[in-house]
Amino acid sequence: MNIRRSIILRVRIAFLIICLVAVSVVVRMVHLQYVEGDKWNAKADNIGLKYKKVKATRGNIYSDNGSLLATSLPLYRVAFDPTVSDETIFNTKLDSLSHLLSTFFRDRSATYYKRRIKDARSANKQYIILNRKLIDYQEKKQMAKWPIFREGRNKGGAIFEKLDRRIRPFSYLGYRTIGYVNANEDGAGLEYSFNDYLSGQDGKALYRKIAGGRWRPVYDGTEIKSVKGYDIETTINVNLQDVTESALLKALEDHDAEYGCAVVMEVKTGEIKAISNLTRNENGSDYREIYNYAVQGLHDPGSTIKLASIIALLEDTNLKLSDSLDTGDGQYKFYNKTMRDHKPGGFGWLTVQESFELSSNIAISRMVDNAFGDNPQRFIDYLNTMGLTQPLGFQMVGEGVPRIKSPDNTSWSGITLPWMSIGYELELTPLQILALYNAVANDGTMIRPVIVKHVKQADKTIKTFETEVIRKKICDKETLSKVRKLLEGVVENGTAMNIRDSYYKIAGKTGTAQNIKNGRYTKNYYTSFAGYFPAENPKYSCIVVIDEPKGFRQYGSNVAAPVFKEIADKIYAQDIEIHTPMPEVAYAHQGIFPVIQAGHRDDLLLISDVLGINHLAKTNEDWVRAQRKDNAVLWTTNEIAPEVVPDVEGMTLRDAIYLLENQGLRVFYDGKGRVIEQSQQPGLKALKGSNIYLKLG
Amino acid sequence: MRQEKGLIQNIDWLVVMVYLLLVISGWMNIYAAVFDEENVTGIFDLLQNSGKQFLWIITSIIIIVAIFTIDFRFYESFAYVIYGAIIFLLVLVLVAGKEVAGSRSWFELGSFRIQPSEFAKFATALAVSAYMSRPGFKISKIGRFLPAAFIVLLPAALIILQGDTGTALIYSAFILVFYREGFSQVVILIGLLAVALFIMTLLVDKLALIVVIAMLALAIIIVGKKTLKRIAIIAAAAILMGGVVFSVDYFVTEVLKPHQQNRIKALINPDADPSGYGWNVTQSKIAIGSGGFWGKGYLEGTQTKFDFVPEQSTDFIFCTLGEERGWIGSFFLIAMFVFLSIRIVMIAERQKSRFARNYGYCVAGIIFFHFMVNIGMTIGLFPVIGIPLPFFSYGGSSLWAFTILLFILLKLDAHRMQLLVRF
Repeated sequence: MNIRRSIILRVRIAFLIICLVAVSVVVRMVHLQYVEGDKWNAKADNIGLKYKKVKATRGNIYSDNGSLLATSLPLYRVAFDPTVSDETIFNTKLDSLSHLLSTFFRDRSATYYKRRIKDARSANKQYIILNRKLIDYQEKKQMAKWPIFREGRNKGGAIFEKLDRRIRPFSYLGYRTIGYVNANEDGAGLEYSFNDYLSGQDGKALYRKIAGGRWRPVYDGTEIKSVKGYDIETTINVNLQDVTESALLKALEDHDAEYGCAVVMEVKTGEIKAISNLTRNENGSDYREIYNYAVQGLHDPGSTIKLASIIALLEDTNLKLSDSLDTGDGQYKFYNKTMRDHKPGGFGWLTVQESFELSSNIAISRMVDNAFGDNPQRFIDYLNTMGLTQPLGFQMVGEGVPRIKSPDNTSWSGITLPWMSIGYELELTPLQILALYNAVANDGTMIRPVIVKHVKQADKTIKTFETEVIRKKICDKETLSKVRKLLEGVVENGTAMNIRDSYYKIAGKTGTAQNIKNGRYTKNYYTSFAGYFPAENPKYSCIVVIDEPKGFRQYGSNVAAPVFKEIADKIYAQDIEIHTPMPEVAYAHQGIFPVIQAGHRDDLLLISDVLGINHLAKTNEDWVRAQRKDNAVLWTTNEIAPEVVPDVEGMTLRDAIYLLENQGLRVFYDGKGRVIEQSQQPGLKALKGSNIYLKLG
Repeated sequence: MRQEKGLIQNIDWLVVMVYLLLVISGWMNIYAAVFDEENVTGIFDLLQNSGKQFLWIITSIIIIVAIFTIDFRFYESFAYVIYGAIIFLLVLVLVAGKEVAGSRSWFELGSFRIQPSEFAKFATALAVSAYMSRPGFKISKIGRFLPAAFIVLLPAALIILQGDTGTALIYSAFILVFYREGFSQVVILIGLLAVALFIMTLLVDKLALIVVIAMLALAIIIVGKKTLKRIAIIAAAAILMGGVVFSVDYFVTEVLKPHQQNRIKALINPDADPSGYGWNVTQSKIAIGSGGFWGKGYLEGTQTKFDFVPEQSTDFIFCTLGEERGWIGSFFLIAMFVFLSIRIVMIAERQKSRFARNYGYCVAGIIFFHFMVNIGMTIGLFPVIGIPLPFFSYGGSSLWAFTILLFILLKLDAHRMQLLVRF
């Protein structure tokens, strides 16, 4: 074949194929849009119409006295269907509506709104958002009365779409504790833990898909109204929360620490009055509530656990607080591992009491090892009796589960028990430690901490969370009084002497645990102080934890304990109930009754009789002066003679003016009360018309 | 030598105009696809696809200027170098690339992502055109054809390794240039027949198909001369076809990945599971079908926004046009692509250099194949193969790659008078 003709043929075939493909595409389009057009249109309508969830308004979160911690404010988006209103109303009122919109939103001119609405109407657009700014309920009510809008739902065309916004009136106060719930129903804190109560029941409404990817509500009467969520009333006290948070924050900043938490609990009820968790921000600039360490943060507790160790010892053995033992030079070897005391050179001989107060690791661990070394399960059993082996069943989601080894476990070794007795080789949350100290304060009854007291619907209480007992008795009564003495001793003579106070007594225990990184103990510490106050009649228990303080102060005693003290001081100052009453001292004024000093005898006698004051008369003169004699008033003469300046000290102004003006003196005075000074000396000759100045007080 | 006109006069402005029309209307459609009335952003907003596309358009213009500045001989001389570099990148992306949606075909440079397989198209076109323009090249000689086929199949194989079968399929577009250079029509016909048979097997009951093939073979044997050789050939062909029919099942279930199987199933019966694997195509058909003749108006589409049609600014951009501009808008787009394809073939035919002509056919093939497959899948004629609509879809790599592809041809074309006829 001629090569030229062959090529021309091939080019033509190529053209043909291109055109064939194009024609088939065009034909297919015609098929889709005409032959099947109705089918696809119907489908578009179908998938463009959908029941969508209408979120219920969330319930509120209240503090213990009814202050709002979190609430939902309804806001509205203003949209408009310009196609539904009557021609005449639309034409006559559009100007004023546009003007109102312009003055309300203040971002566009009235002409802009007018043009936009008019264009939308002529384009038969059934939904336009007039402004993206959301309005509140009052504004919505006001707007619904505007021209055109006021023609009602069917003729007016105004569409107010409700969107709730969660507000925290105290902003960052207790941020993590209050928590959040996001769109995926995921979250943290109370918002999440009590979501079932707070969220309410979502409703349903029909929506139509419209241009621009928006859904427009269709009011066809089939919508299911949403039901507002229940409110929850927490035990959080806003004042205590504020005090706790600011004390903790200050300490974290001072010590440049990584994170910290502080919890204040009411001893008798277990109500959490304040709970604060602050973590250093990612960029390191400040501290935020990011993670709930108090509830979720498992950690080696350190020396605060010695309370449990000493309880177990006192329960199991007949150890006396006055027994003593040698802690040597501050180093003691258990198998291949050396236990050290924090005092360089060691404590030497210590009594049991001193070893607790000074927090000797060697003393406590040796005593525990002696007592329970043969049968460590007994020690674990005691921990169980103290309620430490199980989670507290706290109301907030995510409570850390205590990690306490069992002697059956392969990881249990000869050093596990001694180290466990001083707060390593086991992990607990700060709240769980606090529950133990609270139990000691609460006469041995361990109760479950509560943070939500009531679930309410308006004023109606739906559910109440009562105080629940976890362990009726964590130990013997005798043991209890001994350990309370020990805890007081820590502050009186021990490691926390720096927070001793003369007004009220604090009982508690310091804790300093070395942090483990990559399986090795580091020079970073987890410091804590747990205790209660006032020690004699405990009202509040509290724990403070501060992790990785930097600088020369790194111990529970000088990092965490002062925060405890600051919180306790402020609570003590605010809470009249816990003040020991002042002794009633009668302050007697030397010799003179305050109100009855000098005056007209009849007046003073009347006062004395009415008040039931005994009195003796030494004189029958009209003007008298009062003196004290034992329990009675003795009247003495106050001599009034013509042309002599009288002694008016102690008199009322009325009596003084009467007497002085009778002598022809002109009286000037200053102040209030009784006469305490007179310018002309008594007994001098009274010059008629001369001035006398009185000072009252 | 003829009088040289300036470069500007020699540029084929018709193609440039079509290019600009496609790019700008594509950009406007991308804006429509991401348009959200509640959150109106400008078309230039760089956080939106439309704003980014604007950036790609501006940079494309810079690329065009660069292409026109470089000497036209460069492209032929450096064809293999460019090809080699791209092959290197295709290998590198397998090692150092970032996996996106199951395929490892992206390089990530900061916030930018570049897809080397897009650029492989023009590099392959340059290399295969250069190879086929060597003196004495004859496609009918198997020894000459095989290296050419290798040049085409190597990047395709690498792209399949990346997990991007769709883009690899584009390399079948090079059949056009082979065909123009005299590749056997019979082989192409057999290939097409195999594809047709493949599709038939999916649509029609297998046994019935075998019966039909057997009867056809019998009829052909009876009608024609009954020489032994002829009967043998026809029988062999029939048996081969029967083999194809039976191997389809194996091919579909064993060779194709599950998502590819689903796409083929969706093509055959989109209503079987409209919310499952047929979802994309059904949504796309709803969008186009509800557009009607005139469309719903610009930015007024309801189906192509976010939740219904997936990938609406990349692979499924055509249905945004179909919905908002209706049949008439789609028709214009199709007409533009047809015009562009034919115009490129005409440009190719007027080249004096064999290299430029081959390259022109490559360009025509690639652009047309993209057009056919992309629109075919949106309207349910082809299975869903994720390839972009040239110049129209969102995406920097694809816009740059197509711009380079097209404008190298225009550059070569502008200098066609500077060459003496080679054969």
